[in-house]
Amino acid sequence: MRNTEPQSPVSSISERLRAPDPRDPTTQLFESLRPDLLRFAQWLARDRALAEDIVQEALLRAWRSRDALKDPGAARPWLLTIVRREHARLYERKRLELVSLDEAGELPATASTDTGDDLFALRHAIMRLPIEYREPLVLQVLGGFSTEEIARELSLTPTAVLTRLFRARNKLRALCGMAPAPDTTAGERPA
Amino acid sequence: MTCDEARLLIGADPATSTPELEEHVRGCPACARFRTEMRSLDADIHRAMQEPPQVVRPAARAMAPAWRQWAMAAGAALATFLVLSLWVLRPSDTLAQDVVRHVQGEPESWMATRQVSAGELQSALQNAGVALNVTSDQVVYAQSCWFRGHYVPHLVVQTAQGPVTVMILRHDRVRSRRNFSEDGMSGIIVPAEHGSIAVLARDNGAVAQVAAQMNQDMRWMPEPAQPPPPSPH
Repeated sequence: MRNTEPQSPVSSISERLRAPDPRDPTTQLFESLRPDLLRFAQWLARDRALAEDIVQEALLRAWRSRDALKDPGAARPWLLTIVRREHARLYERKRLELVSLDEAGELPATASTDTGDDLFALRHAIMRLPIEYREPLVLQVLGGFSTEEIARELSLTPTAVLTRLFRARNKLRALCGMAPAPDTTAGERPA
Repeated sequence: MTCDEARLLIGADPATSTPELEEHVRGCPACARFRTEMRSLDADIHRAMQEPPQVVRPAARAMAPAWRQWAMAAGAALATFLVLSLWVLRPSDTLAQDVVRHVQGEPESWMATRQVSAGELQSALQNAGVALNVTSDQVVYAQSCWFRGHYVPHLVVQTAQGPVTVMILRHDRVRSRRNFSEDGMSGIIVPAEHGSIAVLARDNGAVAQVAAQMNQDMRWMPEPAQPPPPSPH
């Protein structure tokens, strides 16, 4: 069931796990990372309400497994990984109704400068990348994951990850007025 | 390391640096330039992704008929303003001028409302050797038009802002994207894998978004043999 209003992990966990102390350092750490997680989930799901559900569920899972987090410094990649898996799990489980980007549009950018227009178009193009290209790009750019880490997470070879990242940027490059580089990668068939 | 290997590494992660890559880039100006461009693009990608995408659901739009009426009135006023203000912004670009002239020569294209069939779309695209995944788009006009010595696909796509013309110009290359305005129309020409794509709309249509979408959804295939030019009437 979709949340009608965003909930903080503190309130959710409080309700569902009998009120852990909001002053608990782990709770505070999770809460501080929530904006990052939400942005990450939105780029994967392309839907804010769905992203909020994903983050909520991911934080709940993380809270249940919090003992596995030995190093608080590793919390961000750990949580991002849980969010990504929750996103994948949700799609597999529910076969969610997708928002058609042909019928739906991005909200207009507030700025109308050339730079704003360019970023708007670029954002739109990133949104329209197929998930197999968008997902590694999001993991790399927003998550800061290395090629090897992305390969492990997506169960791909590092070469396949390089190919997908190359093709993702090559598509965006064409959009930005630069000649696309010849795609000589042989590992995967171009989409 | 070959240029292909270097470009794969740079394209996958423009910030990457290995001794082998550095050695190659030092001796290869083309790959060095490619890396500079990709690093610039990557900076834009990072900036763009700092703001999450915000998608408007169609259902939400459908719930505001009163708002839509006001929006249409405002759009009409805006169109009038743009027609007046764009009067002086005449394109200096010949290709843009030709695109505008061509669209003006087929005024019925923007009046079409019936979604074209897959066969009609295929027929319009095949002479240019392109395929388009537009299953959910509202393509209401699809013709293969004689333009600058070649048959080019001429499409009209219905968008929330009104009809938008798309012309796929396999034989007209542009180095960078360019905007133009003339006679109350605004447009954009963007480079494509082969040639360019021109997108044109009345007033301030969603040309940039449609151009981006087309560039994403288009697949280029080997160009077939061109049929003979149309006989003059």
